[in-house]
Amino acid sequence: MKRGVPGTLVLVLSLAVLAALVLLPMWLVGSSSFKLPREIISRFPTFFPHSFTLQHYQKLLGTSAFPTYFLNSTLVAASSAFVTVLLATLAGYAFFRLEFRGRDFLYRLIMVAYAFPSIVILIPIYLMFAKVGLIDTDLALVIVNVTFALPFSIWMMRTFFASLPRELEEAAAIDGASRLATALYILVPLLRPGIAAIAIFAFVSSWTEYLFASVLIISDAKRTLPVGLSGIIGQYQIDWGLLLAGASLSILPVVVFFALVGRWFVAGLTEGAVK
Amino acid sequence: MASHNPSSEKSGDGRLAILLLALPLGLLAATLVLPMISAVNISLHDIRVIGSEGAFSGLDNYSRVLTAGAFWHALGVSAVWVVGNAFVQTVLAVLAALVLNEKFPGVRIARVWIILTWIIPTVVVVIIWRWMLSPSGGMINPFLISIGIIDRPVGFFSSGPMALASLILINSWRWFPFVAIMLLAGLQRIPADLYEAAAVDGAGPIARFRAITWPLLQPTLLVLTVMGTLLSFNVFDIIWLLTAGGPAGASETLPVLIYETAFKAYRMGDAAAMSVVASLMMIGLAILLIDRLAPKEAAK
Repeated sequence: MKRGVPGTLVLVLSLAVLAALVLLPMWLVGSSSFKLPREIISRFPTFFPHSFTLQHYQKLLGTSAFPTYFLNSTLVAASSAFVTVLLATLAGYAFFRLEFRGRDFLYRLIMVAYAFPSIVILIPIYLMFAKVGLIDTDLALVIVNVTFALPFSIWMMRTFFASLPRELEEAAAIDGASRLATALYILVPLLRPGIAAIAIFAFVSSWTEYLFASVLIISDAKRTLPVGLSGIIGQYQIDWGLLLAGASLSILPVVVFFALVGRWFVAGLTEGAVK
Repeated sequence: MASHNPSSEKSGDGRLAILLLALPLGLLAATLVLPMISAVNISLHDIRVIGSEGAFSGLDNYSRVLTAGAFWHALGVSAVWVVGNAFVQTVLAVLAALVLNEKFPGVRIARVWIILTWIIPTVVVVIIWRWMLSPSGGMINPFLISIGIIDRPVGFFSSGPMALASLILINSWRWFPFVAIMLLAGLQRIPADLYEAAAVDGAGPIARFRAITWPLLQPTLLVLTVMGTLLSFNVFDIIWLLTAGGPAGASETLPVLIYETAFKAYRMGDAAAMSVVASLMMIGLAILLIDRLAPKEAAK
């Protein structure tokens, strides 16, 4: 549909507001992490740093436990993403292709999981994990993160399977391929975008998880980024340079990940939404 | 919704399904179903410090929790929190989705990167807004003064209503792009010829929005309202890290109260009782919302 001059003007204006709302804070955080402390808290923020310093990063990486938190988070988030993709693919295929009693009931039941406040299971999970010696381990966080990412991932995966043309399977069946072989060698490779979408979803939700990580991890050496960084907020007298450097480095991995496969993630979200 | 396929062999399906679903569903049973049952069990015992044993106390925890003011106060704060978030996020998201539904250079990139606020860790959201809203050194105060909205610096977290409002805006900032992307999917399902026909009939943009976009967006909005209610009720970290429920309990939602009861006041039984009541309320609310808001013809 054609837009007149006023329509174009409104569009450009709203785009500018939207960009300012979403991107400006991120830009200011990133650019300010290179500014000298005095410039960081100047009343009118500079768009580009006038002063340039790496002192905040040197302090963050040299004297704080940030590198440890970063490594822990990377390990936990990558493992959680891997396990979630694996389990969601298995379940997604079963719910999409197999016919068995109680399938639709089970499928809906899984989605009910999100109706429960996660705080409900915090106390019982702590007690259970304490009994089997999982407190203060990375594995505990991986289990919890997979649990929270899995229902939504199964839902997305089933939608991705359903979007593949059915002729593929029929052709493979005529060629004598078993269903498992068809799934493994024909369907799964075509689902790479879906797998990327689920991987990023699971990675991001683990990367940002705070509540369980704050309760299930006790020693500082095992701490993940959100909990560790929130500790740094309180630990020093507010050192904005240090915090902004920490914030920038915490955003970086998800932004890189998102730059690579983000479009599949958004496509996955919207495809799921219309089914 | 299920894709039935009469031609496929069904004999092996059951066994294969068990094989494929054993791990994923086994995990969910162990980490969701079992803990929920266990939460009910804990709520019926007089357990103080985590991990200690407590005597069976029937519904004592429930009666103590439900007759104390703290629970009802937190429930009220939670209600304001959920409604405030739903309102702000819906308005922002509808506007953003309408913009992103237009065709312009770079629209594909904008549709992906708008979700940036949603993928960064909450603790980073906390740092960003603590910095920008800080009365000393933050930039929001000077900005609002310079455009004449306020005449002296404001403490965004110092009074109760301001703290809650600030938290709602910050949480909405984080979530509205996600809602916008979902709405965009709904918008793109609306057939373009409807708009063309309306334009031929002389309907302006606002009339087209009211007659076509808004009604046809209702199913998507319903799903998002229910999802959003459950998700925002659950939010804990952003509140905990910014105000810890303060000042004077003004931003103490139910999850914050439950956390404090369990891990600061060491009353596990009480915390479990509150969380069981909260779960029942959430499920009830979800059912009510679906029942009330669902268009009747779609309910068949």
